[in-house]
Amino acid sequence: MENYINNLLFTYLPHIAFAIFWFGLITRIIVANKSIQAKSTQILARKGVKTGNNLFHYAIIIVFFGHFTLFLPEEVYHLVMTTETKRMIALVFGITFGVTSFIGMVILLRRRLKDVRVRVTSTFHDYFILVLLLVEAGLGLASVATTASTTVEEYASLGVWAQKVITFQPDAGAVIAGHSLLYKLHFVTGLLIFMLFPYTKLMHMLVLPVAYFFRSGYQLVRKQHLLNDNRIIK
Amino acid sequence: MQIRAQIAMVLNLDKCIGCHTCSVTCKNVWTSRKGMEYAWFNNVETKPGIGYPDEWENQERWKGGWKLDKQRLVPKMGTKRGIMKNLFANPDMPLMDDYYEPFTFNYSILHKGSGFATPPSARPYSILTGRPMEKIEKSANWEDNLGGSFKERSREKNFDQVQKEICGEFENSFMIYLPRLCEHCLNPTCVASCPSGAIYKREEDGIVLIDQSRCRGWRQCVTACPYKKVYFNWETHKSEKCTFCYPKIEVGDPTLCSESCVGRIRYIGMMLYDSGKIKETATVENEQDLYANHLGLFLDPNNPEIEKEARKQGIPDKVLTAAKNSPVYRLAIDWKVAFPLHPEYRTLPMVWYVPPLSPIVNAAESGKIGMNGILPDVDDLRIPVRYLANMLTAGNEVPVIDALRRMLAMRAYMRTKTVDQIPEPSLEKTGLTPDETENMYHLMAIANYEDRFVIPVSQKEYARDAFGFRAGCGFSDDGGCGNNKFKNLFGGM
Repeated sequence: MENYINNLLFTYLPHIAFAIFWFGLITRIIVANKSIQAKSTQILARKGVKTGNNLFHYAIIIVFFGHFTLFLPEEVYHLVMTTETKRMIALVFGITFGVTSFIGMVILLRRRLKDVRVRVTSTFHDYFILVLLLVEAGLGLASVATTASTTVEEYASLGVWAQKVITFQPDAGAVIAGHSLLYKLHFVTGLLIFMLFPYTKLMHMLVLPVAYFFRSGYQLVRKQHLLNDNRIIK
Repeated sequence: MQIRAQIAMVLNLDKCIGCHTCSVTCKNVWTSRKGMEYAWFNNVETKPGIGYPDEWENQERWKGGWKLDKQRLVPKMGTKRGIMKNLFANPDMPLMDDYYEPFTFNYSILHKGSGFATPPSARPYSILTGRPMEKIEKSANWEDNLGGSFKERSREKNFDQVQKEICGEFENSFMIYLPRLCEHCLNPTCVASCPSGAIYKREEDGIVLIDQSRCRGWRQCVTACPYKKVYFNWETHKSEKCTFCYPKIEVGDPTLCSESCVGRIRYIGMMLYDSGKIKETATVENEQDLYANHLGLFLDPNNPEIEKEARKQGIPDKVLTAAKNSPVYRLAIDWKVAFPLHPEYRTLPMVWYVPPLSPIVNAAESGKIGMNGILPDVDDLRIPVRYLANMLTAGNEVPVIDALRRMLAMRAYMRTKTVDQIPEPSLEKTGLTPDETENMYHLMAIANYEDRFVIPVSQKEYARDAFGFRAGCGFSDDGGCGNNKFKNLFGGM
């Protein structure tokens, strides 16, 4: 039974989660494009916006991209570093930015709960996402602590699992069957976030306006008759 | 030469009585919705005053408009990189408290309650939180008719290099009403600062709009606009601004604020300008040259060469005809009595203002200030010329004085003609001809509807059917009009 659950969660769930993720992502972009946006409450209250938001966002971006190193096969990163070095780097970055983003989220949650204007205009959605990310970051930090206190092999197998998942290997789950529960909770919560992602405000990260850098000059002029008229008339 | 047309407005401050009719009509149509209670696309401020939001003219504080950085024009709030860096928390954004917390009163208690021990009163409630408010501290016209202490009001920027202590004395106090709306600039910083590219200038008439389906709520435009005329809707989490009532403009009607103006102070007309010269115009080193440079951008629609070129570049005939009869062209270029508001922001604003002179005339007539021919001495004005110049020409007093002189001359001429029955009064030293003066009088004093508003109907090919707007709700999101809480599959944002 234990084996069955392990397989379900760590061999099959990732694929189910990503199927849901991609389906939602594509449909949302097509069906409700203009709802993909940041939900800033900055205008309502000053306190905590600058520290909280900047700490959280910048740190979480680094943390997010840090996870992608799991997909590097051993043969590749061994060209430049040993597994031990990679683990060291992962620990340092993980702790630094994990803690930073955690602090940022605590500030933001505090603000949401304490400031009356922000609280009154917040929805369940806002709290849910924030708490979910906070829990995930907490589990992530606990996982970092676990990594620090276990063997290099155990760390290396995390990468093996991730690589087996994305290459559709049926034995992916077995690789981490013996790992600490903290890792497993972190993975499952992470997959849950991916499944929910397209249906929440987290989608705003997709519209991060990088295109701004590539706009020639600053100004924009558009022809009136080339715009879709039905956009504004509802 | 790259010819473009721009719909522009002139407001004659000399005739503004501060009735707020413009603000109310605008509010009723465009911003009487949840999330926008605090926003006024059009508001009327009493000057001297710090205005709405607090000290909007202080760009050291709010970082609006452009600055010159080694001959390069960059938004004062930062380059593209600087703007992107502040995406998660905008450090220079005015917040609700800098505008005001929207409020209402619990009127129901007045007709519901009975048996009050004391006369009942309706307490203020915050529209935002629904909670009672101790005290209303602010609104969009909190300084109305010089409300508040002079010390507080005189923090405003236009007093730079004016001996403001004197203006604080009762005998020397003065006031101006300043109706404000989006300036639909030729070089808008809001457009430049929008990383999503949601804000754009319409090619056909230069109206600056925010595409609500492209706005992703990064709120940089709120800081970028030096006039603080972009508002962040806290309900939809997107920015909104004055639309110059484009559905009305497209069918040839004036904006709501202009249509409803009881003082007939607003003029709307087409202007042709050379868009290829915008950058060069806005980049001039000396701020005081900006007004003259801005004038140099405009093209004379009555010049056959320009007309031919404009036709060649596809400017519709209707627009050309309107440009030829543009009241804005008369006021701004022919007579030079209208000025841009704060040209030093380098945005090349297109809502211009005729400076007020009312307080002078009485003083001149009662012999309190000197006369120079038929002209009172402009240097003796009650409103310090420097104050007006700080507002309208980046501190250059000469054009403002000239404009006031011309307006005074027009008054003196018409008064002599109609009251003293002298058919051809002298216009010595004024630089005006009798015909010109009569025309000025006709447009500025009589201000007939058809002279004030010369608006071409949009070309059929690109006009939208305004019938579709009936019973519409201006800006809306998937939530429909107002408070309808429709949620879609995706969290109903």
